[in-house]
Amino acid sequence: MKIEIQITNQPIRSRSLTENYPAGAIAEFSGIVRDLENGEKISALEYEAYSPMAENEMRRILESLNEKFPCLAAQVIHRVGIIPVGETAIYICVVAKHRGEAFSMLAEFMNRLKQDVPIWKRRAIVKTESAQPIVSVAVKTSGHGNALSLDDAVAEISSCCQPLPGVHAPLAESLGRILRENITTTEDLPAADKSTRDGYAVLKNDSSEILSVVDAIHAADWKPRQLKIGEAVRIATGGSLPCKNVCVIMQENVERNGDIIKIVRHESNLNIRKRGEEIRAGETILNSGAKLDAGKLALLATVGYAQPLVSPKLKIIHFTTGDEIISPEQKPKPGQIRDSNSILIHALLKNFPCELVQQHLPENFEMAKQVISAFSLQPPAFDLVLVSGGASVGDKDFTRPLLEWLDFEIVFNRIAIRPGAPLIFGTNGNRAAFGLPGNPLSHFVCFHLFVAAALKKLVGDEPRKFLRGNLAAKLDDAPNSRETLWPVRCEIQNGKWELTPLRWSSSGDATCLAETNALIRIPANRGSIESGAEVEFFRTHY
Amino acid sequence: MRILFFAQTKDAAETSELEIKISGSASFDEIWEKLVAVKPKLTEFRKATRLARNGEYADAKTKFTDADEVALIPPVSGG
Repeated sequence: MKIEIQITNQPIRSRSLTENYPAGAIAEFSGIVRDLENGEKISALEYEAYSPMAENEMRRILESLNEKFPCLAAQVIHRVGIIPVGETAIYICVVAKHRGEAFSMLAEFMNRLKQDVPIWKRRAIVKTESAQPIVSVAVKTSGHGNALSLDDAVAEISSCCQPLPGVHAPLAESLGRILRENITTTEDLPAADKSTRDGYAVLKNDSSEILSVVDAIHAADWKPRQLKIGEAVRIATGGSLPCKNVCVIMQENVERNGDIIKIVRHESNLNIRKRGEEIRAGETILNSGAKLDAGKLALLATVGYAQPLVSPKLKIIHFTTGDEIISPEQKPKPGQIRDSNSILIHALLKNFPCELVQQHLPENFEMAKQVISAFSLQPPAFDLVLVSGGASVGDKDFTRPLLEWLDFEIVFNRIAIRPGAPLIFGTNGNRAAFGLPGNPLSHFVCFHLFVAAALKKLVGDEPRKFLRGNLAAKLDDAPNSRETLWPVRCEIQNGKWELTPLRWSSSGDATCLAETNALIRIPANRGSIESGAEVEFFRTHY
Repeated sequence: MRILFFAQTKDAAETSELEIKISGSASFDEIWEKLVAVKPKLTEFRKATRLARNGEYADAKTKFTDADEVALIPPVSGG
């Protein structure tokens, strides 16, 4: 049975079982949020899920039910987050040969889901008369509401972005991309028994001291012949052995005279690689999800995968804003500053296979819209939109309306970390957009924490994990109500990560950035941390 | 060991995540003892809440190590 499971915080619209099955029955079920919960009028329900486990459990239940009620395919989409009354919380589609199995599968699945799948109704949102349009509830924090924590913001981004479909790409264009298929070879490697030395192939049971050289085999040759006692074949490293039951005597251990060799030293090594010694036909050598580096690409080439299925190259557009921004080669007049964010984003994105377009926008909203329209820069031509706010541009004035004009729904606009606020995150289908604060250090932090999380999810890469290390010096900081990402220099000392806090003040951001190769995470209200203390950090160099 | 809290247990723990240290392996009951010691409000959920180890339900015999991700799963209400 083909199983598709999705947990999403987006409205459930598409029904994507488009394949042709030899089906006699398709049973669909939609669970809808009702306007009454525990006798009270409500406008929405909020759901929460332990997504990886919930997906596993649903799969496990479907697989076990399939033994009892064999079906052809099942698709389950469960929505989480705030779901307005009248909208679908769960959608199930079961395809089977007969209606009996389809009905049983559906009914039984729902019963088991309600027992075992870790998804919860968190709260009902009670209807009030002055209710704003319900979609506005989906905005996590607007105005001065409680800002999202780092973990919650990353979780939100991760649930909004889903991996984009894979594409077949040539090896030379696949570096850094995520493999989307398991690689199984149909060939043994090596394909034949081979010599590992330059020397002479002789029968293993041949005890002759003097042998006659009857042939020569180069690395590319395929010359099978049955050797006899007293016969030797000159063979190169990598050459295919002429027959079974031979060994190779290194050329250093023989004296050659014309077509005659004399063995001067005996050796115990056979000096051969057996067929299939490295890889057996049918073996899986790389798993879906692997990030392709030089070595993995070489392995793919070795086994003949010239066009592997990999994550797509992301299309990214980066807008810079602010009339005070001038290009690096210009000399700033009073009030102007040079644009460092363009090169910062350009360089940070080098670690992700993508096509990047960068465009400066005038601060006037109408003029900015004209620029975007004139250059056909609107989504859906892009998977990701980044907007860097200029230092003097309040992003409330510009970035948010710009993203909304580009049809992005704002998911959150406040985060409780420093540096980094204000950060805006929005989605439009499976496209993501970030409004980044103008300061370069904030840019750097937001990129590594949030933009990278979206990029990784879109390509299907593993999320970043924090590492643990020890402070090499005391970190002096006043307690702050927000979680802090502090720039540090990390290096390995005696097998442990040592982290030296860098001097960080708002005026020295650019110099601090040039030294930074990691960020440590200081919990809210923590304040100073003693030298030697263990802290969480992540590296900002890949 | 990373502990994840969901639904009512998240409210009781006042966090969605907690890091606790264990040495060697710990049993189901030992994990609970540790949790309740740090977050006494979790006591009332102990009876109805299941534990998951690395995304699978655990039982009384499950052994946990420091590298595991453990989740508290109060009674579910999906669908």
